[in-house]
Amino acid sequence: MDLKMFKKGAILVVAMASLVAAEGLSGRDVIQKVKDRPDGDTRSSELSMTLINKAGAKRERKITSFAMDVGKDTKQIMFFRYPNDVKGTGFLTVDYDDISKDDDKWLYLPAMKKTRRISGKSSKTDYFMGSDFTYDDVGQRNIDEDTHTLLREEKVDGVDCWVIESVPKKNDEIFSKKVSWIRKDCLIAAKVEYYDKLGKLHRFLKVEKVTQVDGFWAIAKMSMENVQTNHKTILEFGDLKFNIPLDAKTFTVPRLERGL
Amino acid sequence: MANGWWLVVGLAAATAFAQESPFQFNGFVDTYHAVQTQWPHDLTSSRTRLRTEMRVDYEDAYLFASLNAVHNSILDDRTGVQLQEAYLNYSNNFLEVRAGRQIVVWGVADGLRVTDLISPVDYTEFMSSDYDDLRMAVDGFRVKYPGERVNAEIVYVPAPRYFQMPIQAENPWRPDMPENAILDFPEGPDTRFKNGDFGTRLSFFLSNFDFSVSALHTHNQSPVTVAGYDFEKDSIVIRGVHETMTMIGGDISMPLGEFVIRAEVAEYFGEALGYKSNLDYARKNTFNALGGIDWYAGDNWTFMVQYLHKYIADYTDELAAEKNSSEMTFRISKEVLNNTLKLSLYGMLDIDNLAYYARAAGDYAVTDQVTLSAGYDHFGGKRGQLANYDKNCEVWAKAKYYF
Repeated sequence: MDLKMFKKGAILVVAMASLVAAEGLSGRDVIQKVKDRPDGDTRSSELSMTLINKAGAKRERKITSFAMDVGKDTKQIMFFRYPNDVKGTGFLTVDYDDISKDDDKWLYLPAMKKTRRISGKSSKTDYFMGSDFTYDDVGQRNIDEDTHTLLREEKVDGVDCWVIESVPKKNDEIFSKKVSWIRKDCLIAAKVEYYDKLGKLHRFLKVEKVTQVDGFWAIAKMSMENVQTNHKTILEFGDLKFNIPLDAKTFTVPRLERGL
Repeated sequence: MANGWWLVVGLAAATAFAQESPFQFNGFVDTYHAVQTQWPHDLTSSRTRLRTEMRVDYEDAYLFASLNAVHNSILDDRTGVQLQEAYLNYSNNFLEVRAGRQIVVWGVADGLRVTDLISPVDYTEFMSSDYDDLRMAVDGFRVKYPGERVNAEIVYVPAPRYFQMPIQAENPWRPDMPENAILDFPEGPDTRFKNGDFGTRLSFFLSNFDFSVSALHTHNQSPVTVAGYDFEKDSIVIRGVHETMTMIGGDISMPLGEFVIRAEVAEYFGEALGYKSNLDYARKNTFNALGGIDWYAGDNWTFMVQYLHKYIADYTDELAAEKNSSEMTFRISKEVLNNTLKLSLYGMLDIDNLAYYARAAGDYAVTDQVTLSAGYDHFGGKRGQLANYDKNCEVWAKAKYYF
């Protein structure tokens, strides 16, 4: 598709989304809209993660990420650039839209000079590089892994939002439910509350800055705080690019081992 | 040969700098000390090291070099500057060429070797080093075809290297040997074309599983010891024997839910095997198979277990090894405190000798740059080398600073 046409289409979709009346719209419909939000066929960014513990001590992680949609599936490759003990580590994933199919994951460890095939199922619930985001949070969670209910509509910081409750269908998740405030103007969450198995608030996500690049809405900065441990992670996306020239060979094990 | 590598490396570096290519420089300083838990409480390892790593990029090529500057307070011959790796890498969409001193790792096993026979292992201080320090680089050429689903590679090592063994008189890890024996353990064969290692590997990365097939003409890198007598020197001589052999094998890695199943098999044709008498050796075909399971249990728990079996064909009772022999390894790890503290337990079980080695360790990332580690190593069992190391049960501590 021509890029200009795509941009116009994307803007039209976003504009129309804000006009859709809530009547007849289910929680799943809203989450589907979020998933279908135009983000290009390919994209890249420079991620910067700042981990802050309750004493205020900070740690940093820097990652370069590339992603490409293949049909309804998404391929993503990440290269860790900082700190130096993990520099050169690479992570390749294929997120399948088919809920019955586990994701494919490979991890390259430069110290071992080896790529390991890792489980595509269990690591989703682990925290990503010591942050407060799980692999699931930074990946592509399948819509039908949760039951979504539209609770109400309300404003967050003056922006109209749908409030959606999502309850996992399986018991092996680390949260019992999450409540998301989805901005109607750009189909991005303004904030998300994650509740633990006891129903207590566990983590709180706040999207602090959204940006528009080449007509595509994207998160520029967000924070996730574990309110039970007072540990916080700030995630910033820099150098956002969409519809860049990437081919399938970018998302391969040899490329993972070659590094940036 | 080594001088030739330096020339290649030097020219490439000069060219790269001339073009003002991006330059990366980093590394670490670490210090590791271990002491026996029983009398006489001697140090079993004590070393401090500066590792520097340099990479210079120029268009589709880069030059990488890493150096170790080591002070070892127990092993004098390990103190000094050692070249870890130094190679030139060129890659495009269809080809990747790497020439120079490099570590080549094949297979899917964790710490055990079935098809992974190119880069030898440095056992000078048993297993007290990091894994990337245990593996020794080789001077060679590697050419890869990096496909989307398939990866083909050819490796040629004109000057192979053998295992480094703990043979220094002052080395706490030296096996029991006759006093005043002359030890003759070569570091590698003479550099001749026919003495080179060469092999190929074809790897496939599929949605449901990965697999590889490989073939390698190599040597038994772990020495077969043969004792003799030198009448001129009036002394027993213990020689390390290395013969050529051919390996044909393959590996597979397959995720199944929370588990990953790994397996490797290889036939070694003409592997040198020592006699019980230690006076001679034979060359036999052996079948080697490994099976492993990784369990990613969630909540930062990981469990791994591996089983390795070796079968010697055309077996004779003179051989020191059993017709069937086996060993197991396991690893349990858990990360806590937002992944700043990693607790792990590693074990190796020599089933035939009923001997074992276990390491309990804790690694704490104080900052992004500083990691402190401490642990305990235990050896025990009825017989064999692991049992003989029981005097070296040790506690150890390590500090590492990355820059």
